[in-house]
Amino acid sequence: MLTGDRAKYLGLIFAIAFSTFLLENQTSIFAGIMRRTGSQIADVTDAEVWVMDPATRYFEQTKALKDTDLLRVRGVPGVDYAVCLFKGQPVARTSKGEFSQAVVLGIDDATLIGAPRKMLLGSWERLREPDSVVIDQAGYILLFPGEPLELERTLEMNDHLVRIVGISDASAPFGSFPIIHARYSEAVNFLGRERSQMAYVLARPAPGLTPSELTRRITEVTGLRARTANEFRWDCVRYYIANTGIPVNFGITIAIALLVGLVVSGQTFYLFTVENLKQFGVLKAIGVTNRRLIAMIVLQALTVGFVGYALGTGLGALFFEVTAQKIATRGIVLLWQNAVGVGVLMFLVVIAASLLSIRRVLVLEPAAVFRG
Amino acid sequence: MKQKIIPIIALAVLLVATISIVRTQPRAQTSEPPVAPPRADFEQRVAAVGLIESRSENISIASHLPGVVEKVFVKVGQEVKPGDPLVKLDTRALEAARAERQSGVATRQAAVATATARARHARAELAEAQRNLRFAESVSDPRSISAEELTRRRSTVEIAEADVQGADAEIAAARTTVTAAEAALKAVETDLERSIVNAPITGRVLQVRIRPGEFAPAGPSAEPWLVLGDCSALHVRVDIDEHEAWRVQPGASATAQVRGNSNLRAPVTFVRFEPLVVPKQSLTGASTERVDTRVLQAIYRIEGADFPLFVGQQMDVFIDASDVNTAMLNK
Repeated sequence: MLTGDRAKYLGLIFAIAFSTFLLENQTSIFAGIMRRTGSQIADVTDAEVWVMDPATRYFEQTKALKDTDLLRVRGVPGVDYAVCLFKGQPVARTSKGEFSQAVVLGIDDATLIGAPRKMLLGSWERLREPDSVVIDQAGYILLFPGEPLELERTLEMNDHLVRIVGISDASAPFGSFPIIHARYSEAVNFLGRERSQMAYVLARPAPGLTPSELTRRITEVTGLRARTANEFRWDCVRYYIANTGIPVNFGITIAIALLVGLVVSGQTFYLFTVENLKQFGVLKAIGVTNRRLIAMIVLQALTVGFVGYALGTGLGALFFEVTAQKIATRGIVLLWQNAVGVGVLMFLVVIAASLLSIRRVLVLEPAAVFRG
Repeated sequence: MKQKIIPIIALAVLLVATISIVRTQPRAQTSEPPVAPPRADFEQRVAAVGLIESRSENISIASHLPGVVEKVFVKVGQEVKPGDPLVKLDTRALEAARAERQSGVATRQAAVATATARARHARAELAEAQRNLRFAESVSDPRSISAEELTRRRSTVEIAEADVQGADAEIAAARTTVTAAEAALKAVETDLERSIVNAPITGRVLQVRIRPGEFAPAGPSAEPWLVLGDCSALHVRVDIDEHEAWRVQPGASATAQVRGNSNLRAPVTFVRFEPLVVPKQSLTGASTERVDTRVLQAIYRIEGADFPLFVGQQMDVFIDASDVNTAMLNK
């Protein structure tokens, strides 16, 4: 049937594959970029609850807490432990004069909670040494372009000379700034002096308590805003969706991909059905029921849809396999939610397209075939 | 068969794609903290930070006099008793002054001796004049001695009497200057004594930041140069946020944990509250800092810690507040 008309068959597969690829590609890049807004939240693996000023809306924007707020959080029943976290954006400079604004995260001196666990070189345990920092690979390449990854290089921040004792594989931040980890007591000096410096308190719920239950308790007792890591990441995503042009940009591409897929496949199906009305008439004349005919049309639509979707997804997976290796696009992958979502969407598209043409078959009178 | 080739290829591609997607999915990870963080021992608790101090609180020793240090008698960590010398200032100027004052006393004493001799001389002259007058008066024949001579001898006696009085006054005056000179000497000797700074209590020398040749100012100095404390028991001064202060009860049990290793923990017992709620001491200590938090300070005694603790060390303290919460809720 449809497979017999090779041009239409391949054209249909191509349309669906192209549409699938474009949709998966664009939605995944969009999701990947949005995920980056909370990369530093996800990288903290030893605390599930973030406590912040009540007016904090996303990760970048912080107002420092009072030092005693840490103690108040520790006093909340159900807190297993709580530590401080500093976040600042000083300018880091190398001895050759390269410089870049950097995201500095100051982790608790005593416990090193929040240290980057994925290391490429060196070790985060060495943060205990005086004047030591861990920088992420992308930041290193940004500050030392064209040079091999090496430890013991120095950076200068706010007249403080620090040594690189480790290179981490920190998740890519939203802005392309280097991610620098240091101890809290030293990180506060990398920025000009501010009266209070504690940006966040990180806490873990006691065994048997969920993070969201703990956030409720902390807010109730201290009046501070407490979010689970997941909630906080969604806060960041929502902030950027509401306050940047990124979603509009991606939305247009996604809409066009969807439209092309729907129009091209719908039209091809329709043409195919119309061109083969005679054959359908013959089938009807020899007593094939309408139901049977619908089943035939839907089956071939699904087959084409599946093939197109499979090839498009294969292309999408290949695309992200390649780009995930690049420093600039690391961490942006084809999320299974996107693949499944686009699959469902394509399923609906081919069903809708085939149903458009079915009407003609259903109202067809078998005798019409013989009139021509 | 030919019809099935494309769907089979598609299936294979989808399979590979699925493997790729599954492999690259971001995964939420959790990990244990590298070092045991401070954890509370009580379900209802107040968390605070404390600073270890000696039982006597830390005494930053001051000097009575400003001056250059000549000798430091104690070493860091040394145990001292009340009155033990700690530091001696350079006293050469004072010693010179003492010698001068001593000679001053001697000079004044010599003046007293001179005045005394002069008085004796005046008395002797008076006695002679009186003898001459008595002789003249005892002569019965008025012609043998003229009236004029008699009057002259009477005047001589009066002059001699006045001389005696003057000489006595001179002695008194000379004695007064001796007393003054002795007082001046005493003042110098006191200063000499005060040039040695003594230990006020039984305790341990916690810090020595002064060496011979350095200047010890009198009065409070920003940097204490010699710190003394009674370390027979260690106290921990706990800063409690004013918002939490109402939840702390004197009798409540509490534990203190060492920074960096919360497995090192010791029970602490309540000693007293500082009655005055003070602004929280900042860690940086910069004078430009403003304060927006006030803290209640409570003193706890560390009981039987079998691990080393040092004065000045920070500790994480948790205070049991379970009784308070139920009591307050019932009100």
